[in-house]
Amino acid sequence: MATNRWVATGNYFTSYKDEQRIFLTHFDRLIFCCMLVLVFAWPLFISVSDRTLLVIDNILIAIVAILGLNLLTGFAGLISIGHAAFVGVGAYTLASFSHLLGDRHILITHAWPLMILISGGVGAGFGALVGLPAFRLKHLYLAIATLSFQMIFEWVINFMKFFNQGQTIFVGRVFWFTGKIARKQHYQFWYYVILVVVVIAGFAVRNLLRTRYGRCLVAVRDNDRAADAMGMSPGLTKVYAFALAGFFAGVAGALHAYLYRGVGFESFTLHHSITYLAMAIVGGLGTLVGSFFGPIAIYMLDLLVENLAEYVGHLLPAVMNLSTALRPLTFGLVIVLFLMFEPRGIANWWRIARTYFKLWPFRY
Amino acid sequence: MSKLHISDVTLSFGGLKALSGVKMIVEPGLITSIIGPNGAGKTSILNCISGFYHPTSGEIRFGDHNLSKASPHQISKLGIARAFQNIELFSGMTVLDNLLLARHQNLKYNFFQALIYRGKASRMEAENRAYVEDVIDFMELEPYRKSMVGNLAYGIQKRVEVARALTLGPKLILLDEPMAGMNVEEKEDMVRFIMDIQRERYITVILVEHDLGVVMDISDRIFVLDFGQLIGSGTPDEVSRDPKVIEAYIGEE
Repeated sequence: MATNRWVATGNYFTSYKDEQRIFLTHFDRLIFCCMLVLVFAWPLFISVSDRTLLVIDNILIAIVAILGLNLLTGFAGLISIGHAAFVGVGAYTLASFSHLLGDRHILITHAWPLMILISGGVGAGFGALVGLPAFRLKHLYLAIATLSFQMIFEWVINFMKFFNQGQTIFVGRVFWFTGKIARKQHYQFWYYVILVVVVIAGFAVRNLLRTRYGRCLVAVRDNDRAADAMGMSPGLTKVYAFALAGFFAGVAGALHAYLYRGVGFESFTLHHSITYLAMAIVGGLGTLVGSFFGPIAIYMLDLLVENLAEYVGHLLPAVMNLSTALRPLTFGLVIVLFLMFEPRGIANWWRIARTYFKLWPFRY
Repeated sequence: MSKLHISDVTLSFGGLKALSGVKMIVEPGLITSIIGPNGAGKTSILNCISGFYHPTSGEIRFGDHNLSKASPHQISKLGIARAFQNIELFSGMTVLDNLLLARHQNLKYNFFQALIYRGKASRMEAENRAYVEDVIDFMELEPYRKSMVGNLAYGIQKRVEVARALTLGPKLILLDEPMAGMNVEEKEDMVRFIMDIQRERYITVILVEHDLGVVMDISDRIFVLDFGQLIGSGTPDEVSRDPKVIEAYIGEE
């Protein structure tokens, strides 16, 4: 019997089930719950502009997408340069429904949770399809296969009449129990929806990682020959990893479509794929918390540099061109610096900070 | 207990014959060693049994099952486990996770139960954890349970490799040079483990090893390969007196 479950000191495990817990101490759980309450409650007390809320919503959507990408690239070790295309598949699934049924059809406005799930499912299907070359290809060759999917996706969207040749396809306003979500509540409503999705997705991934469905991903990353000898088919496991990533991307895509109330091809380009990859790397590949840190860090950096560029541009109008180049420049620089000096990403700082505090008061 | 029949197995890569017409019968419950000079085809025959290579001709049968065309993950389900010569562990995971991975087939819960992690998934994980702990206890790996495998010493990694094969719960275990590169003390430990695997866990052992002293001491049967051909077989005594075997190892007078 554990004497005290509040601190790590003297907190002994007496059964294997004890050791499976996500939160090893009540204190950890308490901090997590406080944080949850905080992120759910702050919009009630602090009023922010729609523009800020839009950025926050975007970060949350990116977190959903990165959770998938991190499973694929971080845990299963399969580099994907087509993640934005998978997000696009989700968004365009919704757009297709909107195109076929009309953008104010009851399925889209009322059964939107179902639509988000369907988009995830379609994303998973495309993920599995694109993952099929993983039976034969490895490493960079596989990455190129995902890149080709990105190209095919952009081409199809741009040239097919059904997808309005990449021009915006509208998606109607949704309904909640309180009625239609008006323009004023729009961003706040979706903030809560996406937050709930992030929390569910986060716990789902955390649970997967402590079962055989998560361990098999790491197995094919570390050694797929041995994984084969352990009784799992490496090819199928890789396809499964792609499907999983595709699901998260599809959900993110549907949320994106609802948030912007429309789908246009310019949100799912190669540039976005690279940005997703950068978020995963900066956050920390192969860690769960990294999927949260990465998008926050990249978006914050983007905002910061944008403000700086604006400020410099006003101060010295002569260097306006130069200051606009600041954004891609810092973006590239940050990735290079992270790869050089902290390849394990921000999650590693988190780990170091945690081990520092874990020693208090004397765990051993 | 099922016998392993290897009948007329030939394995060729283009013009090179790695194995030609090898015949072996591995009796259940014994330690069977395969020896031979470098390049004799010892690892090739293990690769054929465990499904990494498929014989060009001939047949490998384990009990009623034909292994010639099966893939490694199918063979592992039949109860044949394999420890690799060059350490092939999952280096980014802890010892515990490495061993739990070997329980992959026995964790019988579905994807959605895994997502929720209540009831069956949690229970199965705990049950299989108990199995893994039993193996950890058997292989004396307790101090390393939570260490990253990549950071462990070479001798320990070799032990984890054998432990992982054991965790599959096999009827037949293939050990490919489990003592290569170890010092005398570590070798003695490993010999003890191999003998315990046979006597306490009733698992048939096929051992490939270069240390002839060890092989002669612990084997019940020995097969000698040279240039892909079987040149001798029998008990250690018979083999050590076989003129062909002496020739292959020491050369002609």
